[in-house]
Amino acid sequence: MPDSIAPSPQAVIPAKNHIPGNMAIWVGILSEMTEFALMFIVYFLAKVHNPEFFSEGPLRLNTTAGVLNTLVLLSSSYFVIKAIKSIRIGRIARCQRWLWYAVAMGALYLIIKFYEYHWNSERGLATDTDIFFTVYYYTTFNHLLHVGWGSGAILWAIMGIRMGGITQHNHSGLEAVAVYWHMIDLAWIVIFPLLYVLR
Amino acid sequence: MFNTKSVDFIWLVLMGLTLLSAAIAESPDQGLVLILVITFTVAYKGRMIVDHFMELKDANRLLRNSMRVYFYVIPGMIVLVYLFPELIARLTTLH
Repeated sequence: MPDSIAPSPQAVIPAKNHIPGNMAIWVGILSEMTEFALMFIVYFLAKVHNPEFFSEGPLRLNTTAGVLNTLVLLSSSYFVIKAIKSIRIGRIARCQRWLWYAVAMGALYLIIKFYEYHWNSERGLATDTDIFFTVYYYTTFNHLLHVGWGSGAILWAIMGIRMGGITQHNHSGLEAVAVYWHMIDLAWIVIFPLLYVLR
Repeated sequence: MFNTKSVDFIWLVLMGLTLLSAAIAESPDQGLVLILVITFTVAYKGRMIVDHFMELKDANRLLRNSMRVYFYVIPGMIVLVYLFPELIARLTTLH
C-alpha cells in the first residue's frame, strides 16, 4: 500500500456518459437535494412574510464562523476530488491521505458549528428567538447531521481501501461517497448566503 | 501557469469568491448590484462543483442537467424574492 509502489501506467479514465458512483447514491443525492430545496422554499416564504426578522437576523450571527465553515467545506470537497484522481492513477496511499484530510475538515466543521451554537447561546439566541432563528437552527442542524454521517462515509471508504475492497480498478464505492460529500458542500453553498449574507 | 480547468485552480477561485461574499455580508447596504453578485457567486460555485468536483461535465446527461438546473433555479429565486417580496407574500398568504 505504500506510495513508493509505482503507479499503474494504465490510469483509469471514466467513460463518457458514465454515472459517478452508482445509481442508488444518485437516488439518495437527488432526494436530499429536494429536501434542502424545500428548506430553501420555507426560508424564502418565511422571509417575505417576516422581512424585519430576516433583515436583522444575519447581523446577529457569527459571520466569521459561517465563512470559516464555507472555506472548510470547499477544502474538504477539493481533498475528496484529489483522492479520486489519486486512486485512478494507482496512488493508493496518497488517496488515503487526501481522504484523511477531508475527514479532518469534516471534524473541523463540526467543531466550528458547535462553537457557533455556543456563541449564539451565550447571546440568548435560540430556536424560539424569532422565525429567522427557527429557520436558521432547523436548516443548519439538519446540514450538520449530513456532515457527521458524510464524514463517517469517508472513514468507511478509507477502511474499504485498507481492506482491499476499494482499488484502482474497482472504486465506484469511493466515487459514491465522493459525490455524496460534494452534495453536502453544494447545500452549504446555498445555506451560507441565505442565512449569513443576504438581508 | 495554472491550468484554469484544474481542480486546484477551481478550489482557489471558490475560496476567493467565499471571501468576497464575506465582505458583502459586512456591507451596510445591500442593493440590487450586490444581490446580483451574491446570486452569481452561488450559481458559479454550484456549477463548478457539479462540473468539476462531482465530475458531471462529461457524465450522464440527465444527472448533469438535474444538478445544473438546481443552480439556476435557486439563484433565480433569490433575485425574485429580492425584487418582488410583497407580491410573493400576497400570493402565498392563506385567507
